[in-house]
Amino acid sequence: MELKSRLLRAATARPGVLLAVRPGATRERLFVEAELVRRGWPCAAGPASANLLVCVGEATTAEDDWAERLWLGIPAPKARVTASAVERAVEALDRGRADLLSGAHQHHVGRHEQTDGDLHRGHHEHQESPDPAPESGRHTHDDHNSHGSEHTNGSSAGAHQHGAHEGHASHEGHNGHAAHGMHGDHDMGVVAGLPMAARADDRDGLRLDRLHVPLGPVLADWPAGLVLRLELQGDVVQQAAVERIAAPITARPPFWNEPWLRASAGERVARGDAARRLCAAHLDSLGRFLAVAGWDDAAAEARHVRDRALAGVAATELTSSVVPLIRRIRRSRTLRWLTAGLGVLPSEHAHHLGVTGPALVADGDVHGRVLVWLDQIERSAGDCDAPGTLGAADVTGPRGRTDGANLPSQALLDVLPGLLEGAEFACARLIVASLDPDLDEFTWAAPPVRGPADD
Amino acid sequence: MTDPAPLWAVLALPAVLAGAAWAVASFDAVLGAGARAAWPGREALRLLVQQPRRTRAADVPLTRLGSTLLPVAAVLAAVVLPLGFRSVSDLPEGIVWFNAMEALAWAAVWLTGWGPNSTLSLIGGYRFLAQGLAYELPHMLAITTAALGAESLRVGDVVDAQAGLWFAVWMPAAFGIYLLSALAMSFWGPFDQPAGRDVAGGAAAELSGVDRIVFLSGRWLLFVVAAAFSVPLFLGGGHGPLLPGWAWTLLKTAVVLAFLVWARRRIPTVRMERYVELAWVVLTPLAVAQALVVAVVVLNR
Amino acid sequence: MQTSDWQPVFILLVLVLAAIALLHAVAIAVCAVREPLRTGPFSGGLEPREHPLSRFHVRWYPVTMVFLAFDMEMLFMYPWTKVVSEVGPSAVIEMFLFLGVLLAGVGYAWREGAFRWS
Repeated sequence: MELKSRLLRAATARPGVLLAVRPGATRERLFVEAELVRRGWPCAAGPASANLLVCVGEATTAEDDWAERLWLGIPAPKARVTASAVERAVEALDRGRADLLSGAHQHHVGRHEQTDGDLHRGHHEHQESPDPAPESGRHTHDDHNSHGSEHTNGSSAGAHQHGAHEGHASHEGHNGHAAHGMHGDHDMGVVAGLPMAARADDRDGLRLDRLHVPLGPVLADWPAGLVLRLELQGDVVQQAAVERIAAPITARPPFWNEPWLRASAGERVARGDAARRLCAAHLDSLGRFLAVAGWDDAAAEARHVRDRALAGVAATELTSSVVPLIRRIRRSRTLRWLTAGLGVLPSEHAHHLGVTGPALVADGDVHGRVLVWLDQIERSAGDCDAPGTLGAADVTGPRGRTDGANLPSQALLDVLPGLLEGAEFACARLIVASLDPDLDEFTWAAPPVRGPADD
Repeated sequence: MTDPAPLWAVLALPAVLAGAAWAVASFDAVLGAGARAAWPGREALRLLVQQPRRTRAADVPLTRLGSTLLPVAAVLAAVVLPLGFRSVSDLPEGIVWFNAMEALAWAAVWLTGWGPNSTLSLIGGYRFLAQGLAYELPHMLAITTAALGAESLRVGDVVDAQAGLWFAVWMPAAFGIYLLSALAMSFWGPFDQPAGRDVAGGAAAELSGVDRIVFLSGRWLLFVVAAAFSVPLFLGGGHGPLLPGWAWTLLKTAVVLAFLVWARRRIPTVRMERYVELAWVVLTPLAVAQALVVAVVVLNR
Repeated sequence: MQTSDWQPVFILLVLVLAAIALLHAVAIAVCAVREPLRTGPFSGGLEPREHPLSRFHVRWYPVTMVFLAFDMEMLFMYPWTKVVSEVGPSAVIEMFLFLGVLLAGVGYAWREGAFRWS
């Protein structure tokens, strides 16, 4: 027993961390990310390889269904902490490790299974009712999924009328192999509480299983709080609807837009500070994009430079670390080969949907948008120590005009469903990363003059 | 031909391979400089104490079969891998055997992706099949070209044929294609899409505990074995001045591995929907042309 | 000492399987909780509406056809490597005519867009 507990302690000395970032917590996320790098704790891509669930940002009063599910998906030894403010983040991580070492959460594991079991039992009731009425069963499940998320896009209504289901639902034992439901006309067979996918026409004119998958809100290198409700056939996105998870409204301006919002509210904001923030914002987006593109080395460098920019290094020093990074990315033929032609967004269309940021300037594909970021990073890095203050007319933040009727990221979210249709999964992730909507913008309390777009 | 290896070599082989895989994984972690510094040993220990995990309606035997198959295939492929001039068993059709074992990875990754009944792992498994269709043919043509150069499918004969000139020198295209496919078959490096982070680990997304250790270390083993196999095929095996054969093999293998690990940091992940076209339209004809050149040389020898 | 070339292969197979089984046994002994955790699949925190196992959209289906043709060709090419100088120029001419025919097929498939699917 002594050996076992010692092993457990050694094993969790550097826990695998699953970061669950809530909208509005960019400042905290940046801090926690840097702290994890410093400690050398690996970031897990999913619950299966995680020990420590770190929720970053304030929890909503509504129950966070997704956070609970993530927690239930992590195998023991596990612990969960919330880093709600920068000042308390270090302490939260320490507490997380202490919980892991002491095994504080381990005796709860049984209880969690109970919870999961309850969920299952709920589904079994659907299955065992004399008239299964798959339609209603599915809606119930839908509603359940929608807890804590709000629709921003009406297109998911189409999702409800998918597939022609046979009148009879074939009953498989819930322990039976799921694959059995795959054959013949047993499309709506219910296995272990869930139906199998129904068929629908695909983009190539075949009739294949159409799978409804909610993507997000917690994925590696994913905009915090974004949920895409995808209809997948294989790994091709047939339809996508955008949702945001609920987040508390705060009076704190969104981190990346802060200088411009302050300036337009009449505060004096140094031009250099705004340039620095712009530079860091694009470096953050760039790091995320490169990570999604599978270029970890460049992504890590972008994030490192981002942290240096935010730490306030001098403009010349920043430029000297930005330039080699940018040159390397600009020159990469592989990156161009892999990202050219993806997610083409012509500027008329972008303009029509209210996009005002780099995505409008790029007037093109994923690679074009990245090049616009690179240009702006280079320029703003040089302006980091520029004298003067931001005028009231300077309203263009990292993702577009902060004074428009629409939030800059709202326009980016509106663009998404159209761009994602017909893309395959990897391309879809690249397209999302190349737009990189910032859902923090939605958590900001509306000032008296003009407010964020209401849903 | 040299005398057969003693039976204890059978015991030594897995240990040597595991050590090499661990060393390469550590080297990769060191180059990673902190960001994802998951030291392999520590990471394995962390996974070892994990509670077993089952996704809903998962096919556990299938998943386990898939994850087990990967290291098994890697180690069995290494049977024909000579250290110096001796391999554990120098099969008369060693090159075909290596090819057959390496192709088991197709099944391994697909089963592992299919088993957990999870969208992201399914996508990971599916990606590997597309990857297989892209890399496998140029790969087979490249290894046949080496076999053609020696007019034998026995790895020992291929090494003997390079006593003078290394195959890499006069069949550079085949060598380059082989290195690409070594990365692709172990879905590592720029070909890591089947286990990519954008699908939360792909085929490995739902694996935890020992299954994850076995699958991921199987991947490292396959990478090491595939890279090491380029030494007897193209880099003259144990041939070299001064040093004994085994030392040359180790040195060359280390250089190839270091090169691949370094090169990985220079390029993003290659998506198959772009690579397939390159593989079939450029690499396959190139490999055939290389084979033709070698065949003509062999005829005139 | 060895009865056949294959003997070490079988010993190795048993050895590796035993090592993996041992690893599983060790894990059972040291793991934090032995009872398996039952959970849903991960796609970011929310539950899918159906089982993910589905008939997949195999967009590279035409590629598999071309691949099969070449895979069959490899069956001839492996033994062919051993007899090239024995048989002489006719072996080389025949093999590369065959490969040329297949490559023409690849060209046709390429023109038809079989290698582009997104």
